[in-house]
Formats: sequence, structure tokens, C-alpha cells
Amino acid sequence: MEHKTKIHERIYAALILAFFYLPIIYVVFFSFNQSKSLTKFTGFSLQWYEKMFADRMIMSAIGYTVLCAVIATFVSTIVGTVTAIGLSKSKRVLREAVNQVNNLPMLNPDIVTAIGFMLFFTSLKIKTGFVTMVLAHIAFCIPYVILSVMPKLRTLDPNLAEAALDLGCTPMQALWKVIIPQIKPGIVSGALVAFTMSFDDFVISLFTTGPGVSNISIYVYGAVKRVNPTINALSAILVFVITAVLIIVNVVPMIRERRNAKNVNAAELETGVN
Amino acid sequence: MKKLIQVKNVVKTFDKQVVLKGISLDIEENEFVTLLGPSGCGKTTLLRIIAGFLDPDEGHVIMDGEDIAKIPAYQRDVNTVFQHYALFPHLNVYENIAFGLKIKKQPKDIIDQKVRRMISLVGLEGFEQRDVTRLSGGQQQRVAIARALVNEPKVLLLDESLSALDKNLRKEMQLELKQIQKEVGITFIFVTHDQEEALTMSDKIVIMKDGEIEQIGTPTEVYNEPVNEYCARFVGDSNIIDGIMKKDRLVSFDDNDYECVDYGFSENEEVDIMLRPEDINITPRNKGLLNGEVKSVLFKGIHNEVIVETSSGTSKTVIMHVTKSHDIKNEEAHETISAKNFFMDPEDVPTLTSSEVITRANAQAWTDEEEEVSLTKVDFNVKEEEGVYQCTFGTEKGTEITININVVKPAAIEDKENEEVIQAFDFYRDADEIKESVALDTDLILWADAYAWNTEDDSRVEIWDVKYDFDDENITEGDYPVTFSTQGRELKIETTQFIKEGERIGLWWKPEDIHVMRKMR
Amino acid sequence: MKSFSKMAYPYVVWMCVMIIAPMLMIVFYAFSAKGNDLLAFQFTFENFARFFSDTIFPSVLWRSLKMAFVTTALCILLGYPTAYIFAKMKPNNQAIMILLVTLPMWINVLVRTYAWRGLLGYVDLSSEMRVYVGMIYNFLPFMILEVYTSLSKIDPNLIVASHDLGADDGETFRRVILPLSLPGVVSGITLVFLPAVSSFFIPKLLGGGQYVLIGNLIENYFITSGDWNFGSAISLIMAVIILISMFVMRKMDYSNKEAGD
Repeated sequence: MEHKTKIHERIYAALILAFFYLPIIYVVFFSFNQSKSLTKFTGFSLQWYEKMFADRMIMSAIGYTVLCAVIATFVSTIVGTVTAIGLSKSKRVLREAVNQVNNLPMLNPDIVTAIGFMLFFTSLKIKTGFVTMVLAHIAFCIPYVILSVMPKLRTLDPNLAEAALDLGCTPMQALWKVIIPQIKPGIVSGALVAFTMSFDDFVISLFTTGPGVSNISIYVYGAVKRVNPTINALSAILVFVITAVLIIVNVVPMIRERRNAKNVNAAELETGVN
Repeated sequence: MKKLIQVKNVVKTFDKQVVLKGISLDIEENEFVTLLGPSGCGKTTLLRIIAGFLDPDEGHVIMDGEDIAKIPAYQRDVNTVFQHYALFPHLNVYENIAFGLKIKKQPKDIIDQKVRRMISLVGLEGFEQRDVTRLSGGQQQRVAIARALVNEPKVLLLDESLSALDKNLRKEMQLELKQIQKEVGITFIFVTHDQEEALTMSDKIVIMKDGEIEQIGTPTEVYNEPVNEYCARFVGDSNIIDGIMKKDRLVSFDDNDYECVDYGFSENEEVDIMLRPEDINITPRNKGLLNGEVKSVLFKGIHNEVIVETSSGTSKTVIMHVTKSHDIKNEEAHETISAKNFFMDPEDVPTLTSSEVITRANAQAWTDEEEEVSLTKVDFNVKEEEGVYQCTFGTEKGTEITININVVKPAAIEDKENEEVIQAFDFYRDADEIKESVALDTDLILWADAYAWNTEDDSRVEIWDVKYDFDDENITEGDYPVTFSTQGRELKIETTQFIKEGERIGLWWKPEDIHVMRKMR
Repeated sequence: MKSFSKMAYPYVVWMCVMIIAPMLMIVFYAFSAKGNDLLAFQFTFENFARFFSDTIFPSVLWRSLKMAFVTTALCILLGYPTAYIFAKMKPNNQAIMILLVTLPMWINVLVRTYAWRGLLGYVDLSSEMRVYVGMIYNFLPFMILEVYTSLSKIDPNLIVASHDLGADDGETFRRVILPLSLPGVVSGITLVFLPAVSSFFIPKLLGGGQYVLIGNLIENYFITSGDWNFGSAISLIMAVIILISMFVMRKMDYSNKEAGD
């Protein structure tokens, strides 16, 4: 492509982006509103934030969301990574079969997966609640972890593991000292995907949780029937946190890379060899 | 010298494909052994079996008198330098080299001492803390060698280790590897498909083909006395000629007898004859053992590579009728149309298509503004028997031309000795078409429908040469002979003499330069 | 290294329990008579008969499909040009644009949809239109990202070659860029159509409760009325329809590729 855009094309792109950001800006803006109105801004105040932090329902929803996401991420990352490594050494048939089954929850509409879990738990007479929600989250997160670790394993030089054995590693040592460090980026991104999937999940949580246990999504879903600007405050805080995290995630590697490049240049100057 | 490794009858199969068909090989202490062969010959599989990454289906690998089949790779006294080095990207140069010693839990100061010694052996001082991904190919290679040697193995295995380097660096590393091997005094087993590498470095070369060993010998042995055509072609450049062993020390090819020093063949046995290009000398015509014509001269730096044709291939001469262009002009439609008569084989009639007829007749139409007009009408009714048939081409606007298609059995020329047949047809063209041709040889083959094949297996034989006598830039009407021929006997010669293409020369060699080999099974 | 293959086995068991068993459970419930018990199984088609003999259920299904279809079409119409413009920008700007599109997707879906409730208070729209706004808002980024990915994979030399062979900008777009970006459109369609059919919180939050789609039906039968057998049957019908449309899409994608070869 030629790297040239016309003015009307840039305006179009700007409009689309504005469409994406409009509701976010709106929510943040009205979270500072003095009155209860959702259309008229009457003055600056932090009262909705105060109310939010005082609201035990919201606080418990945040607590459940974070706890559930942390557990689901931890378990699914470990299980997913171990499985991916196992699959990469397994017969093709097994690998294909697991991939196909893993596709089911990813291709099925969330609601179908969700009612499947619900029927499954209740049929086994397991009382739905926080535990069932976490189990369901783990179940739908693992395929994403496998999906992000697998390509790293596939592009891994098969000689690396052999080199480790050749130099005296037992298979277990080769795994720890060579394979895991090599696929780390895949594991990290898998964990990140698992965390956000779990953190943002609504449909599956709604069907697998029990009375008294709500995550943020379920709380918002239940609370919007009334005009309730505390949700604005909650939303705004989520926006702030996520923006901050994304900036850190995107900017820190950039800075590190720049610093590395500098170091390498310095080293090259020192030794004077390419 | 003591036998260090004995490979006994090793068989390996992958997915029902036999990759190693019972290999037996002895490797001695302090030896530089090269496994040489094309990709897929099983050389890497053999290496991986010795390393312990693969288990043989049958047979044994014995090291120091002990069968090592059950010993896992990480307990063998063998280390490997991988094709793409397999350096650990998350470790720096020092950590990569120290890896094996750390695994063996050696004391820190010993590790440091050994690593430093290796780093100086491979000449990487000052690079200790460098990220391995930021090293050049040659430097990575050195790290890989150091990482393997630091473990003090009895055998170092190198899997196509130089193939990723560029040519100059590869030559440099060849010498260096040989030097390192002498210095550390252990056995190196080197796998390569590069014969030059094998010849420069090895004490012993093992030539492999399709999972079997063809020849084992020193570099001079395999170069001078290859056991068969395969080994001769694989090591060094050579002319391989089909011949017949008349009796001891007398061999014949292309209807002539030549003295040689080989014996022990049965009378009139069919053999392969090898003549190295550097062993053939150029003499004045009729002063040598046979005469030929210089087909091409390639400057190769220190010498010229000359191709000499000593006997021609199968050839067929046809007549090219150069005619006046008899285009038909349609004044009303402002169009012109042209097409030529052509000859064809009755055998080709059943598969004849409109577009083929257009191509063979070179039919085309154009407007007064020289724009091409597509032919909407192609009328022909050709039968599968000899005769003259009419064919009419026409455009949308009704501009038409009629030509003759001559269906005749081709007079093919068969060369019994070469087991080849060549056929071609006379053809009609006008002068402009010849002048406008951008690839005249190819066009002539197409126009004459020239075709050659092998009578033994019916495989197609390439038309190697198109000879004609006219000046295609200034051709006029008339009949011109055009000769198509297949490749004849061509000999490659390396010479420092200056020689011109087309020169007629004699060739001479000493009887001992001829090497006679048994035909391959 | 071969021994590592055993590491996959525990998950294979987990997968059977946590993925396959729940799916089978839906089928089981859909084909069993009223009563939410595994042991009292009675095979029946009644749930399906009830769905299709009623006038309301098929019309809700039809409305959901129509809505998903229109949403997908609008996403292509709006998203393709956006992705195309992004792909024409300087590489650095492209990265920024993609980051800007991705960023809102990290914020909770419910929160983003909730925000539209307030915003749409300023304008007077029918509940159907409000749902459309929410759907497009939610799904457009997927389409843009998919199309952009396939556009950015096109070798720039192909476009140069096309110009070299005499095609102008329009022809180059039609004959080179568009065919090569179609796989992106196809995967974009799967990413939009699929969740759009089953969406239930968007109509609920923005349609004001009067706008019912098939997802809302399923939710109602499970959460409110507790008729799991009928709810399962509805889910199964929806899943089958989605499966068929995916299959058709894939077929189209393949035939496309074959034509491309």
C-alpha cells in the first residue's frame, strides 16, 4: 500500500474512532456529575465515587471479580501450558482431537456454553456459587492459553531440546531450563488473555454463579434498571485502571528495548567487532 | 589405532520408509570422519542414532566395547554441534558454553576455568556477555563448537554445521575445524552434502546413498578410485561415459578403443568410464586420441571450463520456406488478416484445438491502426489420415483467410546407438515473422514441431541445438535448411589454455587417467 | 521427550468432563420431557414441536437472524473502509490506530453498553435502532481488526506489480486487494454474526425490555421460568442454525481459495 491517505479518509477514520470513544468519555464525564441526571451536567462532584466505595454490593462484586480472575488465570495458565507441551509431543490424532474440542467453547455462543455448565453443575447436584463460577472460568480460559502457547512451541527449534539433552540435561531439566524460558512470551500472553476473559466475563458467570455471588458484569446488569450514577463511577474507575495498565504494558517494553539498544551499541563500541 | 565406535547393521524406518538399510561402520579414535551424501541419504539419521536422539530399529552402536543403545542421550560421552547451532537464545555466550558443566554441577571455579579456555580456543574473547542472537553466523558456530567441546566428549558430532555460512567463511571454518580437531585430539563425525568440505577436512569419507554406504575411503581414494558412477559424480567434477571393457587394460566408447590401467572385468562387460576434466589435455586436431568441437568456454577464475563435443547427437534437417507475406486486406472493415500453411502429424489430429491451429498457422488479424483483432472464426475439418485440408480463419467483421493444413506422417530419424528418435516438419513463414521473433531457436522448434524421444523408455529428449545458416535480421524469400539435434557426447575439460568457441581441437589423456567402474546395480 | 506426551492426558480427561459433558447435557435436556432430572429420562420431541407450532418463537428466531444479518452487513460496510484507510497509513500510525481500536475492547462489555443507555437518552430512537447502535458498537472492532490483518498481510509488491501491468487504482483494488482481503472479511463475519445471533444483554439493556431476541428467550427459560428442557431445545435450535451458517461460510471461503489458486 502507498502510505498516503486523503483528507476525507482521515475524517472518516476519526469519526469511527469517535464513535468508539464517545460512550467512554461520556461515562467518565458524568461520573463527576453533581446531580442524578444522565443527560444534564449540573456541576462537579465526587459524591458518586464516595457512594460507590461505601456500597458493599459493589465492593464485593469487585472482590469476587478479581479473586475469580486471579484463580482462573493461575490455574488455566499452568494447566494450559502443561497441556500444550504435552500435545506438542503427542500424536497428531490426539492433538487434532483436542484442538477440535477446544474450539467448541470458542465457536459456540457464550450462552450455549453457559447453560451447558449450568445444566452440568445442577445435574450433578453441585450447588452453584463462587466455586462453580471459578470452575467454569478455568474451563473456558484453558483453550485460550493452549492457543497462545502452541504456536510458540511449534516455532521452537526442535534441536534446542535435543541440545539440552546432548549437554547432559534430563528431560525434566530440559523442560525447565530451555523449553519454558523459550515459550515464556506465549505463556504470558495466554495468562493475560485468560485474565481479561475472566475479568470481563458476563454470560458464563451469570449462569454458573449462585445467589449472593456477583461479579462486576452481573452487578451492572442487575443495577441498570434504575438510574444509578454509581455505575458511572465504577465504569470510570475501570476505564482509568485499564488505560493505566495498557499504557504500562505498551510503553514499558518500548523503553526497555530502547535501553537495550543503547547498551548493545555501547558494547559494540567497546569491543569494536560486529 | 583403537576402534572407538562400531556401528553394526543399523536399520531405521520412519513411517514404513526404510531410511537406514543395515549400516555397518567402524570409527577409530582421533579420526575426522565425514558422512557424505545428498539430503535424504540417511546420514543425519545415522548421526542422530549415534547421538542418542533416535533408537535404531535393529543393530547396535558400540562405544568403547559397550552397547550404548539403552543409554539416553544425556548420559552419552558424545556432544553435538547442530545444523542451526541450537544456541539457547535466553542465555548469553558464556552461559551457553557453561550450560553442560552447570548441569553436571561442577564447581564454579572449574566451570569458569574450562569456559575461558574454550572461549580462547574458538577465539571469542571479549564476547562472553554478548547475546547469542546478536552474533554473526560464524560466531554462533564457534559458540556451538565451544559449548559441545567444553564437556570433553569422546566424540563430537557435527550436523551440516557449516552449511548456514557463506562461502568464504565456510572455507575459513573448514581449516579451523580441522585445527581444533587436531588440538583437542578427539574423534569428529561430520555430516555434509558438500564434497569439497569432505575432501578438505576428513581422514575418512563415508559416501552414502539411499540408506546404504557406497564407499569408505580416504579423500584421495574416493577422489581417484570411486567405486561407481554415483561416487564419481558426488566427489569432484567428472565426465562419466558409458563404455565397454574389451579386455584387461582396453576400454571402448563411441566406437573407439582406449588404453587404460584397469583390469579384472569380464570380457565385453558394460562399464562406466570416469575422466576428470583436469586430466584431459588439448592438442591440435588429429594429434590426440579423439577430435571435437568447442561448444562453450566458461571463465572460472584460475581455469577455463571448456565443453567439447566429440560426437553429435541425433539430428533432423527440415526446410524452412520463407515466403512473401500474403496478408488479406479487408478495405471495408479496415482490417488485415494473415495465416500460414503448416504440416502436422496425423497422430496429433485427435487432440487438435482451435487455439493450437491458430498458433501453428500463426494466424492473426489487425486493424489499420495496428490494433490486434481477435479471431472469432476458426473452421477446420482435419481427418486422421494423410492429405491436404483447408482451414479458414475469420474476424467478427468478416475478414477471412484460408490456408492448407498438410497432414503427413513425419519422417523421423532414429539413432540406434543413442536410442533416440527425432522428428520435425518443413514449415512456411514470411520474412517479417522471422525478423520479429524474440526467441528464434524456441520459435523454430515450435514452428517445425520438432520433437525427440528416447526409444527405450519413450521419455522426452530435449532438443539441444538448433543450427541454421541464414542471417535472421536480413532474411529474404527462399528455402533454408534448419537442423535440430539432441545432445551428443560432450566432455568437460578444465584448462588454463585460451581457446575459442567453435574451434576444432584434439583431445589427449594418459591411460592411467581413465578410471573404469562397474555399472551400478 | 516422548514422555512429555503424558502431560496432555489430565487435560483430555478434564476436557471430556468440562466441555463435552455440558454440551451433551444440553442435547439430553432438549430431548427429554419436562422435569429437570437426569434419572427420570423420557425421550421426546415435544420441546421442538412446541417451538415451531407457536407463532411467537419462530418470529423471534427470524428477528434474531435478521438482526444479526443486518448487523454483519453494516459492520462490513463501515469496517472495511476503516481497515482499508488504516492499512494505507504510515506504519507507525497504523499501530496507533489499531491500539486505539483495541483499547475500548478491554473495558467490560456491560459497562460500555450501559454507557450507551445514557448517551441514547439525548436522541429519540426506536428500540430497534437503539439495539442496532449497541450491536454495531460492540462488534465493529472485530470486523475492522480482521479485515485490517488480512489487508496488512498483502505484499506491497503485488500492488506495484498490478500498477506495472497497467491496472489503475480502481482495478487494482477490485482485482488484487479485494480478493486477497476476503479471508479477513469471512473471519470477520464469523466473529460478528455468531455472537450477534445469540446476544441477549444488548437488546435487554438498550431495547428497554420490549425488544426480545432468541438469546433473551433462552435467558428467560433458564433464569426466570426455570423450564430448562424447553430452554435447551431453543439453544440447540440456535446452535444448529449457527453451525449451518458457519459451514456455509467456510465452504464459501474454500471455494474462494480454490478459485484464487
